[in-house]
Amino acid sequence: MNWPLLVLLGAVVGFVSGLFGIGGGFLMAPILIFMGIPPAVAVASQASHVVASSTSGVISYTSQKAVDYKIGLVMAGGGVLGALLGVELFRYLRLLGQADLAVALSYLLFLGAIGTLMLYESLGQILRRVRGEMAPHKERRRPLWLYGLPLKMRFPRSGLYISAIPPFALGMFVGVMSAIMGVGGGFILVPAMLYVLRMKAGVVVGTSLFQIIIVTAMTTILQAGRNQTVDVVLSMLLLLGGVVGAQYGARWSGRFRAEELRAVLGLIVLMVGIQMGLELFVRPSDLFAFAPGVAQ
Amino acid sequence: MIAALPPPPPAVPAPAPERSVGTTDQVRIAAALTDARVRVDSSFQGASIVLYGAVFNPNDTPADVVVVVRGPDGPVRLVKKTRSNGVWLNSRPVLFEGAPGFYMTASTRPLSDIADFGQLRRLGVGVDHLRINAPEESRTVTRYGVRDVVVSRLGEDYLDFRRAVIRLREAAALYDTDPAGVQFVDRGLFRAEVELPAVAPTGRYFAEAWLFQNGEPVSVSNLTLTVEKVGIERDIFEFAHRRPWSYGLLCVLLAAFTGWAASRVFRRN
Repeated sequence: MNWPLLVLLGAVVGFVSGLFGIGGGFLMAPILIFMGIPPAVAVASQASHVVASSTSGVISYTSQKAVDYKIGLVMAGGGVLGALLGVELFRYLRLLGQADLAVALSYLLFLGAIGTLMLYESLGQILRRVRGEMAPHKERRRPLWLYGLPLKMRFPRSGLYISAIPPFALGMFVGVMSAIMGVGGGFILVPAMLYVLRMKAGVVVGTSLFQIIIVTAMTTILQAGRNQTVDVVLSMLLLLGGVVGAQYGARWSGRFRAEELRAVLGLIVLMVGIQMGLELFVRPSDLFAFAPGVAQ
Repeated sequence: MIAALPPPPPAVPAPAPERSVGTTDQVRIAAALTDARVRVDSSFQGASIVLYGAVFNPNDTPADVVVVVRGPDGPVRLVKKTRSNGVWLNSRPVLFEGAPGFYMTASTRPLSDIADFGQLRRLGVGVDHLRINAPEESRTVTRYGVRDVVVSRLGEDYLDFRRAVIRLREAAALYDTDPAGVQFVDRGLFRAEVELPAVAPTGRYFAEAWLFQNGEPVSVSNLTLTVEKVGIERDIFEFAHRRPWSYGLLCVLLAAFTGWAASRVFRRN
Protein backbone atom coordinates (compact mmCIF):
# COMPACT_ATOMS: atom_id res chain seq x y z
CA MET A 1 0.00 0.00 0.00
CA ASN A 2 1.48 3.34 -0.79
CA TRP A 3 1.46 5.77 2.05
CA PRO A 4 1.50 9.18 0.30
CA LEU A 5 -1.76 8.21 -1.38
CA LEU A 6 -3.32 7.35 1.97
CA VAL A 7 -2.19 10.63 3.53
CA LEU A 8 -3.60 12.49 0.52
CA LEU A 9 -6.86 10.58 0.78
CA GLY A 10 -7.03 11.47 4.47
CA ALA A 11 -6.46 15.11 3.59
CA VAL A 12 -9.15 15.20 0.90
CA VAL A 13 -11.74 13.49 3.09
CA GLY A 14 -10.66 15.69 6.00
CA PHE A 15 -11.20 18.78 3.84
CA VAL A 16 -14.68 17.59 2.92
CA SER A 17 -15.47 16.83 6.53
CA GLY A 18 -14.27 20.22 7.70
CA LEU A 19 -16.16 21.95 4.92
CA PHE A 20 -19.48 20.30 5.74
CA GLY A 21 -19.01 19.80 9.47
CA ILE A 22 -19.28 16.02 9.29
CA GLY A 23 -17.02 13.15 10.35
CA GLY A 24 -16.42 11.99 6.81
CA GLY A 25 -16.55 8.30 7.65
CA PHE A 26 -19.26 7.58 5.08
CA LEU A 27 -16.89 8.83 2.39
CA MET A 28 -13.67 7.29 3.69
CA ALA A 29 -14.84 3.71 4.20
CA PRO A 30 -16.15 3.24 0.62
CA ILE A 31 -12.99 4.75 -0.88
CA LEU A 32 -10.79 2.42 1.18
CA ILE A 33 -12.89 -0.56 0.16
CA PHE A 34 -12.66 0.56 -3.45
CA MET A 35 -8.85 0.70 -3.04
CA GLY A 36 -8.88 -2.96 -2.14
CA ILE A 37 -8.63 -2.83 1.62
CA PRO A 38 -10.84 -5.53 3.14
CA PRO A 39 -14.16 -3.95 4.20
CA ALA A 40 -13.83 -5.09 7.80
CA VAL A 41 -10.40 -3.49 8.14
CA ALA A 42 -11.46 -0.34 6.29
CA VAL A 43 -14.53 0.14 8.44
CA ALA A 44 -12.68 -0.44 11.71
CA SER A 45 -9.51 1.50 10.92
CA GLN A 46 -11.06 4.67 9.66
CA ALA A 47 -13.16 5.01 12.82
CA SER A 48 -10.10 6.51 14.49
CA HIS A 49 -9.92 9.03 11.64
CA VAL A 50 -13.41 10.05 12.69
CA VAL A 51 -12.24 10.30 16.33
CA ALA A 52 -9.43 12.65 15.35
CA SER A 53 -11.44 14.97 13.14
CA SER A 54 -14.32 15.06 15.62
CA THR A 55 -11.96 15.86 18.49
CA SER A 56 -10.58 18.90 16.77
CA GLY A 57 -14.16 19.86 15.85
CA VAL A 58 -15.45 19.58 19.41
CA ILE A 59 -12.55 21.66 20.72
CA SER A 60 -13.44 24.54 18.44
CA TYR A 61 -17.20 24.22 19.12
CA THR A 62 -16.58 24.12 22.89
CA SER A 63 -14.79 27.45 22.70
CA GLN A 64 -17.93 28.81 21.00
CA LYS A 65 -20.08 27.24 23.79
CA ALA A 66 -21.88 25.23 21.14
CA VAL A 67 -21.78 21.79 22.79
CA ASP A 68 -24.54 20.49 25.07
CA TYR A 69 -22.57 17.97 27.09
CA LYS A 70 -25.60 16.80 29.07
CA ILE A 71 -27.69 15.57 26.17
CA GLY A 72 -24.47 14.49 24.48
CA LEU A 73 -23.71 12.15 27.37
CA VAL A 74 -27.22 10.69 27.32
CA MET A 75 -26.87 10.00 23.60
CA ALA A 76 -23.36 8.66 24.07
CA GLY A 77 -24.67 6.24 26.73
CA GLY A 78 -27.07 4.84 24.17
CA GLY A 79 -24.31 4.98 21.58
CA VAL A 80 -21.92 2.86 23.63
CA LEU A 81 -24.63 0.24 24.16
CA GLY A 82 -25.40 0.37 20.44
CA ALA A 83 -21.72 -0.01 19.58
CA LEU A 84 -21.48 -3.10 21.78
CA LEU A 85 -24.47 -4.61 20.00
CA GLY A 86 -23.21 -3.50 16.61
CA VAL A 87 -19.74 -5.01 17.00
CA GLU A 88 -21.24 -8.33 18.10
CA LEU A 89 -23.67 -8.20 15.19
CA PHE A 90 -20.81 -7.42 12.80
CA ARG A 91 -18.80 -10.32 14.19
CA TYR A 92 -21.72 -12.68 13.68
CA LEU A 93 -22.32 -11.41 10.14
CA ARG A 94 -18.65 -11.86 9.31
CA LEU A 95 -18.77 -15.47 10.44
CA LEU A 96 -21.84 -15.97 8.27
CA GLY A 97 -20.00 -14.37 5.36
CA GLN A 98 -22.72 -11.71 5.15
CA ALA A 99 -20.80 -8.67 6.42
CA ASP A 100 -20.40 -7.29 2.87
CA LEU A 101 -24.14 -7.51 2.31
CA ALA A 102 -24.92 -5.74 5.58
CA VAL A 103 -22.46 -2.95 4.78
CA ALA A 104 -23.70 -2.48 1.22
CA LEU A 105 -27.35 -2.58 2.22
CA SER A 106 -26.97 -0.10 5.08
CA TYR A 107 -25.10 2.30 2.83
CA LEU A 108 -27.71 2.03 0.11
CA LEU A 109 -30.67 2.52 2.45
CA PHE A 110 -29.38 5.20 4.80
CA LEU A 111 -27.19 7.22 2.50
CA GLY A 112 -29.71 6.93 -0.28
CA ALA A 113 -32.56 8.16 1.91
CA ILE A 114 -30.63 10.92 3.72
CA GLY A 115 -28.96 12.12 0.54
CA THR A 116 -32.28 12.35 -1.28
CA LEU A 117 -33.90 14.27 1.58
CA MET A 118 -30.99 16.70 1.89
CA LEU A 119 -30.88 17.33 -1.82
CA TYR A 120 -34.65 17.83 -2.01
CA GLU A 121 -34.78 20.20 0.95
CA SER A 122 -31.75 22.29 0.01
CA LEU A 123 -32.62 22.54 -3.69
CA GLY A 124 -36.09 23.72 -2.69
CA GLN A 125 -34.54 26.39 -0.52
CA ILE A 126 -32.17 27.51 -3.27
CA LEU A 127 -35.04 27.67 -5.78
CA ARG A 128 -37.13 29.77 -3.41
CA ARG A 129 -34.24 32.16 -2.88
CA VAL A 130 -33.69 32.52 -6.61
CA ARG A 131 -37.40 33.24 -7.17
CA GLY A 132 -37.41 35.60 -4.20
CA GLU A 133 -40.14 33.70 -2.36
CA MET A 134 -40.54 33.59 1.40
CA ALA A 135 -39.63 30.43 3.26
CA PRO A 136 -42.80 28.55 4.16
CA HIS A 137 -43.83 28.64 7.80
CA LYS A 138 -42.12 25.81 9.62
CA GLU A 139 -43.95 23.51 12.00
CA ARG A 140 -42.00 24.12 15.18
CA ARG A 141 -44.09 21.82 17.36
CA ARG A 142 -42.20 18.79 18.59
CA PRO A 143 -43.88 15.45 18.12
CA LEU A 144 -46.13 14.83 21.11
CA TRP A 145 -44.74 11.40 21.94
CA LEU A 146 -41.52 13.08 23.03
CA TYR A 147 -43.45 14.44 26.01
CA GLY A 148 -45.47 11.36 26.80
CA LEU A 149 -42.45 9.27 27.79
CA PRO A 150 -41.12 8.92 31.34
CA LEU A 151 -37.64 9.91 32.64
CA LYS A 152 -37.94 13.58 31.79
CA MET A 153 -34.75 15.63 31.95
CA ARG A 154 -33.87 19.27 31.47
CA PHE A 155 -31.30 20.12 28.78
CA PRO A 156 -30.98 23.89 29.15
CA ARG A 157 -28.35 24.42 26.45
CA SER A 158 -30.50 22.70 23.88
CA GLY A 159 -33.64 24.39 25.16
CA LEU A 160 -35.30 21.04 25.85
CA TYR A 161 -37.29 19.47 28.65
CA ILE A 162 -37.98 15.99 27.33
CA SER A 163 -37.71 12.33 28.22
CA ALA A 164 -34.18 10.89 28.12
CA ILE A 165 -35.42 7.90 26.13
CA PRO A 166 -35.52 9.41 22.60
CA PRO A 167 -31.96 10.80 22.70
CA PHE A 168 -30.76 7.54 24.27
CA ALA A 169 -32.50 5.47 21.58
CA LEU A 170 -31.17 7.75 18.84
CA GLY A 171 -27.65 7.35 20.24
CA MET A 172 -28.06 3.59 20.35
CA PHE A 173 -29.25 3.38 16.77
CA VAL A 174 -26.30 5.47 15.59
CA GLY A 175 -23.97 3.27 17.68
CA VAL A 176 -25.08 0.17 15.79
CA MET A 177 -24.66 2.01 12.48
CA SER A 178 -21.25 3.19 13.54
CA ALA A 179 -20.06 -0.36 14.10
CA ILE A 180 -21.47 -1.76 10.87
CA MET A 181 -20.84 1.09 8.47
CA GLY A 182 -17.74 2.52 10.13
CA VAL A 183 -19.24 5.97 10.17
CA GLY A 184 -19.62 8.47 12.96
CA GLY A 185 -23.27 8.77 12.07
CA GLY A 186 -23.36 12.56 11.92
CA PHE A 187 -25.44 12.44 8.76
CA ILE A 188 -28.19 10.63 10.69
CA LEU A 189 -27.68 12.40 14.03
CA VAL A 190 -27.78 15.97 12.81
CA PRO A 191 -31.12 15.78 10.97
CA ALA A 192 -32.65 13.68 13.76
CA MET A 193 -31.53 16.17 16.41
CA LEU A 194 -32.84 19.07 14.36
CA TYR A 195 -36.14 17.74 13.09
CA VAL A 196 -37.14 15.10 15.66
CA LEU A 197 -35.72 16.36 18.95
CA ARG A 198 -35.91 19.99 17.78
CA MET A 199 -32.75 21.00 19.55
CA LYS A 200 -31.41 24.53 19.19
CA ALA A 201 -29.68 24.61 15.82
CA GLY A 202 -26.56 26.26 17.25
CA VAL A 203 -25.61 23.32 19.46
CA VAL A 204 -26.55 20.48 17.11
CA VAL A 205 -23.28 20.00 15.22
CA GLY A 206 -21.00 20.39 18.26
CA THR A 207 -23.09 18.02 20.34
CA SER A 208 -23.30 15.41 17.60
CA LEU A 209 -19.51 15.54 17.20
CA PHE A 210 -19.11 15.06 20.96
CA GLN A 211 -21.36 12.00 20.88
CA ILE A 212 -19.52 10.72 17.80
CA ILE A 213 -16.13 10.88 19.53
CA ILE A 214 -17.32 8.71 22.39
CA VAL A 215 -19.09 6.19 20.19
CA THR A 216 -16.38 5.83 17.55
CA ALA A 217 -13.71 5.59 20.25
CA MET A 218 -15.73 2.78 21.79
CA THR A 219 -16.20 1.14 18.38
CA THR A 220 -12.48 1.28 17.65
CA ILE A 221 -11.60 -0.35 20.97
CA LEU A 222 -14.27 -3.01 20.52
CA GLN A 223 -13.30 -3.74 16.91
CA ALA A 224 -9.67 -4.05 17.95
CA GLY A 225 -10.49 -6.19 20.97
CA ARG A 226 -13.10 -8.47 19.48
CA ASN A 227 -12.37 -8.62 15.77
CA GLN A 228 -8.74 -7.48 15.53
CA THR A 229 -9.54 -5.49 12.44
CA VAL A 230 -7.95 -2.15 13.37
CA ASP A 231 -4.79 -1.30 11.46
CA VAL A 232 -3.02 1.45 13.37
CA VAL A 233 -0.62 2.25 10.53
CA LEU A 234 -3.47 2.70 8.08
CA SER A 235 -5.47 4.81 10.50
CA MET A 236 -2.50 7.00 11.46
CA LEU A 237 -1.71 7.70 7.80
CA LEU A 238 -5.32 8.63 7.15
CA LEU A 239 -5.71 10.86 10.16
CA LEU A 240 -2.42 12.70 9.67
CA GLY A 241 -3.78 13.96 6.38
CA GLY A 242 -7.27 14.17 7.81
CA VAL A 243 -6.69 16.61 10.66
CA VAL A 244 -4.84 19.05 8.40
CA GLY A 245 -7.46 18.78 5.66
CA ALA A 246 -10.25 19.30 8.19
CA GLN A 247 -8.79 22.61 9.37
CA TYR A 248 -8.59 23.97 5.84
CA GLY A 249 -12.07 22.67 5.08
CA ALA A 250 -13.47 24.47 8.12
CA ARG A 251 -11.91 27.75 6.92
CA TRP A 252 -13.40 27.39 3.47
CA SER A 253 -16.87 26.61 4.73
CA GLY A 254 -17.52 30.29 5.54
CA ARG A 255 -17.37 31.15 1.83
CA PHE A 256 -20.52 29.27 0.86
CA ARG A 257 -24.19 29.53 1.75
CA ALA A 258 -25.46 26.83 4.12
CA GLU A 259 -28.07 25.49 1.68
CA GLU A 260 -25.55 25.28 -1.16
CA LEU A 261 -23.23 23.27 1.06
CA ARG A 262 -26.13 21.01 2.04
CA ALA A 263 -27.06 20.48 -1.61
CA VAL A 264 -23.52 19.44 -2.52
CA LEU A 265 -23.26 17.23 0.57
CA GLY A 266 -26.63 15.65 -0.23
CA LEU A 267 -25.40 14.88 -3.74
CA ILE A 268 -22.19 13.30 -2.42
CA VAL A 269 -24.10 11.25 0.17
CA LEU A 270 -26.56 10.04 -2.44
CA MET A 271 -23.80 9.10 -4.89
CA VAL A 272 -21.82 7.18 -2.27
CA GLY A 273 -24.99 5.32 -1.26
CA ILE A 274 -25.73 4.37 -4.86
CA GLN A 275 -22.14 3.41 -5.55
CA MET A 276 -22.03 1.09 -2.51
CA GLY A 277 -25.44 -0.34 -3.28
CA LEU A 278 -24.55 -1.00 -6.90
CA GLU A 279 -22.35 -3.86 -5.79
CA LEU A 280 -25.52 -5.76 -4.90
CA PHE A 281 -26.84 -5.58 -8.45
CA VAL A 282 -23.78 -5.74 -10.67
CA ARG A 283 -22.35 -9.12 -11.51
CA PRO A 284 -19.11 -9.40 -9.50
CA SER A 285 -15.92 -9.89 -11.48
CA ASP A 286 -15.15 -12.95 -9.39
CA LEU A 287 -18.03 -14.97 -8.01
CA PHE A 288 -15.86 -16.35 -5.23
CA ALA A 289 -14.26 -14.55 -2.34
CA PHE A 290 -12.42 -15.49 0.81
CA ALA A 291 -14.55 -15.17 3.90
CA PRO A 292 -12.92 -14.01 7.09
CA GLY A 293 -13.20 -16.06 10.23
CA VAL A 294 -10.04 -18.13 9.94
CA ALA A 295 -6.48 -17.01 9.54
CA GLN A 296 -5.90 -16.41 5.86
CA MET B 1 47.09 -21.21 30.38
CA ILE B 2 46.01 -24.66 29.46
CA ALA B 3 42.83 -23.40 27.87
CA ALA B 4 44.81 -21.20 25.56
CA LEU B 5 46.61 -24.12 24.03
CA PRO B 6 45.25 -25.42 20.72
CA PRO B 7 43.65 -28.89 20.88
CA PRO B 8 46.08 -31.65 19.99
CA PRO B 9 45.82 -33.02 16.47
CA PRO B 10 43.95 -36.33 16.13
CA ALA B 11 46.16 -39.40 16.15
CA VAL B 12 44.69 -40.64 12.89
CA PRO B 13 43.24 -38.09 10.45
CA ALA B 14 39.70 -39.07 9.51
CA PRO B 15 39.16 -39.59 5.81
CA ALA B 16 37.25 -36.83 4.12
CA PRO B 17 33.62 -37.91 3.66
CA GLU B 18 33.00 -38.83 0.09
CA ARG B 19 29.76 -36.97 -0.36
CA SER B 20 29.76 -37.40 -4.07
CA VAL B 21 29.82 -41.15 -3.94
CA GLY B 22 27.90 -42.70 -6.76
CA THR B 23 27.58 -39.54 -8.76
CA THR B 24 29.48 -41.10 -11.57
CA ASP B 25 26.80 -43.64 -12.36
CA GLN B 26 23.69 -42.33 -10.59
CA VAL B 27 21.49 -39.40 -11.57
CA ARG B 28 21.04 -37.20 -8.53
CA ILE B 29 19.94 -33.71 -7.50
CA ALA B 30 21.26 -31.74 -4.58
CA ALA B 31 19.92 -28.40 -3.46
CA ALA B 32 20.41 -25.83 -0.74
CA LEU B 33 18.97 -22.52 0.29
CA THR B 34 21.04 -19.38 0.62
CA ASP B 35 19.19 -18.67 3.83
CA ALA B 36 17.09 -21.11 5.81
CA ARG B 37 15.57 -18.21 7.75
CA VAL B 38 13.74 -15.77 5.57
CA ARG B 39 12.75 -12.46 7.10
CA VAL B 40 9.87 -10.71 5.46
CA ASP B 41 10.60 -7.05 5.85
CA SER B 42 8.12 -4.61 7.30
CA SER B 43 8.25 -2.27 4.33
CA PHE B 44 5.42 -4.00 2.40
CA GLN B 45 7.96 -5.44 0.01
CA GLY B 46 8.21 -9.08 0.89
CA ALA B 47 11.33 -11.13 0.44
CA SER B 48 12.76 -13.74 -1.84
CA ILE B 49 13.92 -17.28 -1.32
CA VAL B 50 16.97 -18.26 -3.33
CA LEU B 51 17.51 -21.94 -3.91
CA TYR B 52 20.47 -23.30 -5.79
CA GLY B 53 21.59 -26.79 -6.49
CA ALA B 54 23.45 -29.19 -8.65
CA VAL B 55 22.36 -31.94 -11.00
CA PHE B 56 24.63 -34.94 -11.30
CA ASN B 57 23.75 -36.31 -14.66
CA PRO B 58 26.38 -38.75 -15.95
CA ASN B 59 24.46 -39.80 -19.05
CA ASP B 60 23.23 -37.46 -21.71
CA THR B 61 19.50 -37.88 -21.13
CA PRO B 62 18.10 -34.34 -20.80
CA ALA B 63 16.92 -33.57 -17.29
CA ASP B 64 14.39 -31.09 -15.99
CA VAL B 65 14.37 -29.44 -12.59
CA VAL B 66 11.19 -28.49 -10.75
CA VAL B 67 11.36 -26.51 -7.53
CA VAL B 68 8.31 -26.52 -5.28
CA VAL B 69 8.03 -24.23 -2.28
CA ARG B 70 5.02 -24.59 -0.03
CA GLY B 71 4.03 -22.70 3.06
CA PRO B 72 2.19 -23.92 6.14
CA ASP B 73 -1.30 -25.32 5.59
CA GLY B 74 -4.26 -23.49 7.00
CA PRO B 75 -8.02 -23.56 6.74
CA VAL B 76 -9.70 -21.40 4.11
CA ARG B 77 -13.25 -20.13 4.13
CA LEU B 78 -14.78 -19.29 0.83
CA VAL B 79 -18.09 -17.80 -0.20
CA LYS B 80 -19.69 -17.82 -3.60
CA LYS B 81 -21.91 -15.01 -4.76
CA THR B 82 -25.19 -16.18 -6.20
CA ARG B 83 -27.97 -14.15 -7.70
CA SER B 84 -31.35 -14.26 -6.11
CA ASN B 85 -34.16 -11.86 -7.01
CA GLY B 86 -31.68 -9.71 -8.91
CA VAL B 87 -29.41 -9.24 -5.91
CA TRP B 88 -25.98 -10.81 -5.56
CA LEU B 89 -25.67 -12.52 -2.20
CA ASN B 90 -22.95 -14.53 -0.52
CA SER B 91 -23.54 -18.22 -0.02
CA ARG B 92 -22.83 -19.87 3.29
CA PRO B 93 -19.05 -20.03 3.71
CA VAL B 94 -17.45 -23.33 2.76
CA LEU B 95 -14.52 -24.41 4.88
CA PHE B 96 -11.54 -26.05 3.27
CA GLU B 97 -9.57 -27.77 5.96
CA GLY B 98 -6.11 -27.25 4.64
CA ALA B 99 -4.67 -25.34 1.75
CA PRO B 100 -1.04 -24.27 1.70
CA GLY B 101 -0.68 -20.63 2.63
CA PHE B 102 1.96 -20.30 -0.05
CA TYR B 103 2.62 -22.48 -3.08
CA MET B 104 5.00 -21.83 -5.87
CA THR B 105 6.58 -23.92 -8.53
CA ALA B 106 9.53 -22.92 -10.63
CA SER B 107 10.79 -25.14 -13.38
CA THR B 108 13.00 -25.27 -16.42
CA ARG B 109 10.06 -25.83 -18.78
CA PRO B 110 6.27 -25.74 -18.45
CA LEU B 111 5.24 -28.51 -16.06
CA SER B 112 3.00 -30.17 -18.63
CA ASP B 113 6.03 -30.67 -20.88
CA ILE B 114 8.10 -32.17 -18.09
CA ALA B 115 5.78 -34.91 -16.90
CA ASP B 116 2.28 -36.11 -17.67
CA PHE B 117 -0.87 -35.29 -15.76
CA GLY B 118 -0.98 -38.52 -13.76
CA GLN B 119 2.60 -38.25 -12.64
CA LEU B 120 2.23 -34.64 -11.49
CA ARG B 121 -1.05 -35.46 -9.77
CA ARG B 122 0.54 -38.36 -7.93
CA LEU B 123 3.44 -36.22 -6.73
CA GLY B 124 1.22 -33.22 -6.00
CA VAL B 125 3.45 -30.98 -8.07
CA GLY B 126 1.87 -27.94 -9.67
CA VAL B 127 -0.92 -25.63 -8.63
CA ASP B 128 -3.45 -27.75 -10.52
CA HIS B 129 -2.46 -30.79 -8.53
CA LEU B 130 -2.44 -29.24 -5.09
CA ARG B 131 -4.09 -31.26 -2.41
CA ILE B 132 -6.62 -28.95 -0.90
CA ASN B 133 -8.57 -30.91 1.61
CA ALA B 134 -12.20 -30.91 0.73
CA PRO B 135 -14.92 -29.49 2.91
CA GLU B 136 -16.46 -31.59 5.61
CA GLU B 137 -19.05 -34.19 4.63
CA SER B 138 -16.87 -35.26 1.78
CA ARG B 139 -15.66 -38.63 0.65
CA THR B 140 -13.37 -39.74 -2.11
CA VAL B 141 -14.37 -42.14 -4.81
CA THR B 142 -12.94 -43.38 -8.04
CA ARG B 143 -14.71 -41.78 -10.94
CA TYR B 144 -14.00 -42.13 -14.66
CA GLY B 145 -10.94 -44.15 -13.72
CA VAL B 146 -9.39 -41.26 -11.79
CA ARG B 147 -8.64 -42.02 -8.17
CA ASP B 148 -9.32 -39.67 -5.29
CA VAL B 149 -12.12 -37.71 -6.87
CA VAL B 150 -13.66 -35.73 -4.05
CA VAL B 151 -17.40 -35.80 -3.69
CA SER B 152 -18.96 -33.57 -1.13
CA ARG B 153 -22.22 -31.84 -0.46
CA LEU B 154 -20.91 -29.23 -2.85
CA GLY B 155 -21.15 -31.86 -5.54
CA GLU B 156 -19.94 -30.64 -8.89
CA ASP B 157 -19.34 -27.21 -7.38
CA TYR B 158 -16.34 -28.55 -5.53
CA LEU B 159 -14.07 -28.08 -8.53
CA ASP B 160 -15.24 -24.49 -8.95
CA PHE B 161 -14.51 -23.76 -5.32
CA ARG B 162 -11.12 -25.41 -5.57
CA ARG B 163 -10.23 -23.43 -8.66
CA ALA B 164 -11.41 -20.28 -6.89
CA VAL B 165 -9.09 -20.88 -3.94
CA ILE B 166 -6.20 -21.17 -6.37
CA ARG B 167 -7.28 -18.20 -8.48
CA LEU B 168 -7.72 -15.89 -5.48
CA ARG B 169 -4.40 -16.96 -4.02
CA GLU B 170 -2.73 -16.44 -7.38
CA ALA B 171 -4.18 -12.94 -7.49
CA ALA B 172 -2.56 -12.29 -4.10
CA ALA B 173 0.77 -13.63 -5.43
CA LEU B 174 0.61 -16.44 -2.87
CA TYR B 175 0.37 -19.16 -5.50
CA ASP B 176 2.43 -18.98 -8.61
CA THR B 177 3.76 -21.08 -11.43
CA ASP B 178 6.92 -19.95 -13.11
CA PRO B 179 7.75 -22.16 -16.10
CA ALA B 180 11.13 -20.47 -16.49
CA GLY B 181 11.97 -19.97 -12.84
CA VAL B 182 14.81 -22.47 -12.74
CA GLN B 183 17.86 -21.34 -14.63
CA PHE B 184 21.02 -23.25 -15.23
CA VAL B 185 23.83 -20.87 -14.42
CA ASP B 186 26.42 -23.43 -15.42
CA ARG B 187 26.47 -26.99 -16.59
CA GLY B 188 24.75 -28.93 -13.82
CA LEU B 189 24.38 -25.90 -11.57
CA PHE B 190 20.93 -24.34 -11.26
CA ARG B 191 19.38 -21.48 -9.38
CA ALA B 192 15.76 -20.62 -8.57
CA GLU B 193 14.41 -17.50 -6.97
CA VAL B 194 10.97 -17.46 -5.37
CA GLU B 195 9.33 -14.16 -4.50
CA LEU B 196 7.56 -14.11 -1.17
CA PRO B 197 4.90 -11.38 -0.88
CA ALA B 198 4.54 -9.41 2.34
CA VAL B 199 1.24 -11.18 3.05
CA ALA B 200 2.87 -14.63 2.96
CA PRO B 201 2.14 -16.58 6.14
CA THR B 202 4.91 -17.10 8.64
CA GLY B 203 6.07 -20.49 9.80
CA ARG B 204 7.75 -23.57 8.44
CA TYR B 205 8.06 -23.87 4.68
CA PHE B 206 9.02 -26.92 2.69
CA ALA B 207 11.05 -26.75 -0.46
CA GLU B 208 11.49 -29.67 -2.85
CA ALA B 209 13.76 -29.86 -5.82
CA TRP B 210 12.68 -32.58 -8.24
CA LEU B 211 14.71 -33.97 -11.06
CA PHE B 212 12.74 -35.38 -13.97
CA GLN B 213 13.97 -37.46 -16.84
CA ASN B 214 11.69 -38.71 -19.58
CA GLY B 215 8.69 -37.66 -17.56
CA GLU B 216 9.73 -39.69 -14.53
CA PRO B 217 10.95 -38.31 -11.21
CA VAL B 218 14.44 -39.68 -10.69
CA SER B 219 15.62 -37.78 -7.65
CA VAL B 220 14.39 -35.32 -5.07
CA SER B 221 15.97 -33.12 -2.48
CA ASN B 222 13.90 -31.92 0.48
CA LEU B 223 14.61 -28.76 2.43
CA THR B 224 12.86 -26.79 5.11
CA LEU B 225 13.02 -23.10 5.85
CA THR B 226 11.45 -20.73 8.34
CA VAL B 227 9.71 -17.54 7.31
CA GLU B 228 9.33 -14.88 9.91
CA LYS B 229 8.26 -11.30 9.85
CA VAL B 230 10.47 -8.63 11.31
CA GLY B 231 10.33 -4.90 11.77
CA ILE B 232 7.95 -2.50 13.37
CA GLU B 233 4.87 -3.80 11.59
CA ARG B 234 5.49 -7.24 12.93
CA ASP B 235 5.72 -5.78 16.42
CA ILE B 236 2.46 -3.92 15.87
CA PHE B 237 0.82 -7.05 14.53
CA GLU B 238 1.97 -9.04 17.54
CA PHE B 239 0.77 -6.33 19.89
CA ALA B 240 -2.61 -6.12 18.15
CA HIS B 241 -3.17 -9.84 18.52
CA ARG B 242 -1.69 -10.43 21.96
CA ARG B 243 -3.18 -7.44 23.74
CA PRO B 244 -6.05 -6.35 21.50
CA TRP B 245 -7.80 -4.20 24.10
CA SER B 246 -4.80 -2.08 25.02
CA TYR B 247 -4.04 -1.81 21.33
CA GLY B 248 -7.51 -0.46 20.61
CA LEU B 249 -7.26 1.99 23.49
CA LEU B 250 -3.90 3.18 22.23
CA CYS B 251 -5.30 3.72 18.72
CA VAL B 252 -8.08 5.88 20.11
CA LEU B 253 -5.75 7.90 22.33
CA LEU B 254 -3.41 8.48 19.39
CA ALA B 255 -6.32 9.63 17.26
CA ALA B 256 -7.72 11.95 19.91
CA PHE B 257 -4.28 13.37 20.57
CA THR B 258 -3.68 14.03 16.88
CA GLY B 259 -7.03 15.81 16.64
CA TRP B 260 -6.25 17.91 19.68
CA ALA B 261 -2.74 18.70 18.46
CA ALA B 262 -4.03 19.77 15.05
CA SER B 263 -6.58 22.13 16.56
CA ARG B 264 -3.87 23.66 18.79
CA VAL B 265 -1.45 24.14 15.92
CA PHE B 266 -4.02 25.69 13.65
CA ARG B 267 -5.50 27.99 16.26
CA ARG B 268 -2.14 29.60 16.83
CA ASN B 269 -1.68 30.35 13.15
